[in-house]
Amino acid sequence: MLSHPRDPALLPRLLWGALLLALLVPTLPLTGFNPLQLFDAATLKTLAGFVAGFLPPASNAVFLGEVMRASVTTLAAATAGLALAMLVGLPLAFATTRALDRHALTAAAPSRLAEAGKSLLRGVMVLLRGAPEIVWALLFVRAVGLGSLPAVLALGLAYGGMLGKVYAEILESQPRALARALCAAGAGRPQVLGYGLLPQALPELVSYSVYRWECAIRASAVMGFVGAGGIGQLLDTSIKMMNGGEVSTLLLVFLLIVVGTEGVSRLSRRLLESRQGGAVLAGSAVLAALASVAWLLPAWREAGFDGASLLRFASEFLPPDASPALLADIGRGALETLAMAFLGTALAFAGAALLALPASGRFGQPAKALARLLLNLLRGIPDLLWASLAVLAVGLGPAAGVLALALHTSGVLGRLFAETLENAPPAPEQALRVLGAGRLTAFCYGLLPEVWAQWLAYALYRGENNIRAAAVLGIVGAGGLGQQLYLALSLFQLPTAASLILAMLLLSWLLEQLSRLLRQQLEAATGHAA
Amino acid sequence: MKAIKFAMAGALLAVSALASAEEAVLKVSAIPDEAPTELQRKFAPLGAYLEKELGMKVQFVPVTDYAAVVTALTSDKIDMAWLGGFTFVQASQRGKVVPLVQREEDSKFTSKYIANTEAGINSLKDLKGKSFAFGSASSTSGHLMPRYFLQKQGIKPETFFKNVAYSGAHDATVAWVASGKVEGGVLNASVWDKLVEAGKVDLTKVKLLGTTPAYYDYNWTVRGNLDAKLQQKITKAFLKLDPKNPEQQAILELQRASKFIPTKAANYKGIESAAKAAGLLK
Repeated sequence: MLSHPRDPALLPRLLWGALLLALLVPTLPLTGFNPLQLFDAATLKTLAGFVAGFLPPASNAVFLGEVMRASVTTLAAATAGLALAMLVGLPLAFATTRALDRHALTAAAPSRLAEAGKSLLRGVMVLLRGAPEIVWALLFVRAVGLGSLPAVLALGLAYGGMLGKVYAEILESQPRALARALCAAGAGRPQVLGYGLLPQALPELVSYSVYRWECAIRASAVMGFVGAGGIGQLLDTSIKMMNGGEVSTLLLVFLLIVVGTEGVSRLSRRLLESRQGGAVLAGSAVLAALASVAWLLPAWREAGFDGASLLRFASEFLPPDASPALLADIGRGALETLAMAFLGTALAFAGAALLALPASGRFGQPAKALARLLLNLLRGIPDLLWASLAVLAVGLGPAAGVLALALHTSGVLGRLFAETLENAPPAPEQALRVLGAGRLTAFCYGLLPEVWAQWLAYALYRGENNIRAAAVLGIVGAGGLGQQLYLALSLFQLPTAASLILAMLLLSWLLEQLSRLLRQQLEAATGHAA
Repeated sequence: MKAIKFAMAGALLAVSALASAEEAVLKVSAIPDEAPTELQRKFAPLGAYLEKELGMKVQFVPVTDYAAVVTALTSDKIDMAWLGGFTFVQASQRGKVVPLVQREEDSKFTSKYIANTEAGINSLKDLKGKSFAFGSASSTSGHLMPRYFLQKQGIKPETFFKNVAYSGAHDATVAWVASGKVEGGVLNASVWDKLVEAGKVDLTKVKLLGTTPAYYDYNWTVRGNLDAKLQQKITKAFLKLDPKNPEQQAILELQRASKFIPTKAANYKGIESAAKAAGLLK
């Protein structure tokens, strides 16, 4: 082919690259994302004005008092929400996990009725976690009113579905010898769980729950954007009123909370290592959950909870609106959502690759520390928060969503990429260097092939997440299905909202199928278990 | 185990604290058409006046979302609310509510179109292909009526403008236009006048493009099952506000009212048909 084939795989590589670019091109008009606009004089002026307003951070006592109260509410809602999620998830996991099935542990025949019941419960869990927690929060805000109760209920349901699935899988991944023996000796489901599986699975279950608690805090902060109380609600008001000083104070407090919870979760993992530590952890978790409920209860009591109105509200969603005009709107929204996610992920892949090089320590310690700090900042601020800031930079609409996804995902992928670079065997690259190859060539042909498959797998996984995220970014004004849903719910057009939520679920389900297919292909092609 | 006992004690304490008795309170809210701090400032003297006139505690419940005020009023979580024309129509579709009074100004309310001075916009037609901000999607003067009047001129916002955004509140719309975040916008005439009078609008950055025709807007509405005698007392208290009394004049001024007049649901039929025509009400 080429007269001097330095790279025998050059042609397919170029073809794949060209194909990817060809796919990216149509996303630009679809999202209205114009990278040049970021550096446009007028944009820079607006942005500079707003950022200049960040300084000094607002520090008057009344505002700080409000921020303190809101922060506690955010933490309490996350903690109470996770507690509720565990109450939902644990029984679901217990009922559905295959690790406790008699027919899986012994030669007994499965009961058809029991299996049907389990399938039903699994379906419920898919529904619970299928709708993003912010959509649940928005629904509950409409149904039971503003405040922290919708945040707790939303976390309880969405995370309940998630915990149920993951707990079940953790139980399934344990060695089964003990469980088999117990089952053969005639032990029932609870006994097998209590004596056969729980002792070995407990650390993993707890550690996953702690990780979810961290996620819940970020989610709870963001839920304020739809009126579910806490620090997000203050942030929403301050951003809308373009009060930079308040925004910077709130962002600082938010980052402090994130760093603080990361510390707490590290500490709790260490506590898990000893028996006393475990008891302390269990005690303080129960205490924290109760304290959270105690903090939130007065406001809940004030607002009152009315089950009948909740049912009435739910019934108004039926039947979903299926008028052709709305379906066309939904199609447009879905396309916009997909384009946002695709372009955002592609930009993030490039950004993450660039940041991962210094973050893996290839350019010395100071560069490494700096890159890690930047990655943590990008990752620490949730995409919805980035979106509400991005609307300032590129105006309202899907372009802001692209920017938000690109920024947040760069942080997530950058850290993962850096880790793979650090863990990759250094020998091939060193060998190429010794043979006289340049730094770039050695990297491209020595190291990159080692990590490439894993990078793609990570990007694919994040891309899937980003489609779900893109579907809801519109809630803060960044286009796509989310914006339509927010409007429909604000205007009490509940049948329209129902169709939009169904479209989101469908999109998410299709995606899961597609990504499973792609991952299988990738595994087959590279021989890697991604 | 000690920790758990401790926690149980805490929970018991919390539950017993909640069992305290309740007293008669009138819970009042307002659609958040301006910044929450501004709403509180506006309500404080009116609240004190109502407490005196009604002989009961009056509590302002701040709400940051239009639709949430509608839900709260129709599910009896608040007793009275300051609603816009559109939110009133939404509330009366979702439950039984009674409009009591409105400002004299509300019977001939208008909206103002504004633009950023640097965007080279001199008329409504120049806004074609520019970005444009409404207030809240549930706002009468910040969304519904301007959309309705634009539509009557053959302008469909979603295709006429480059980008349609919802700022959430009238003062936010002005801030957005002033900063250049959007090139044009529309808001409540009364809030615009107030911001201009108070010098809170930089007129070198924002200019006025035009005014909509007049329509019925805001009113004070109570939930339908509120004690009829109390409803009468509230109406009387509002109608009694006298511009010649300096203290009451201060209240009227904060409400931007010359005086309050009785109102009725029929006044808002026009808003309802406009909402249907604009596709905001199905």
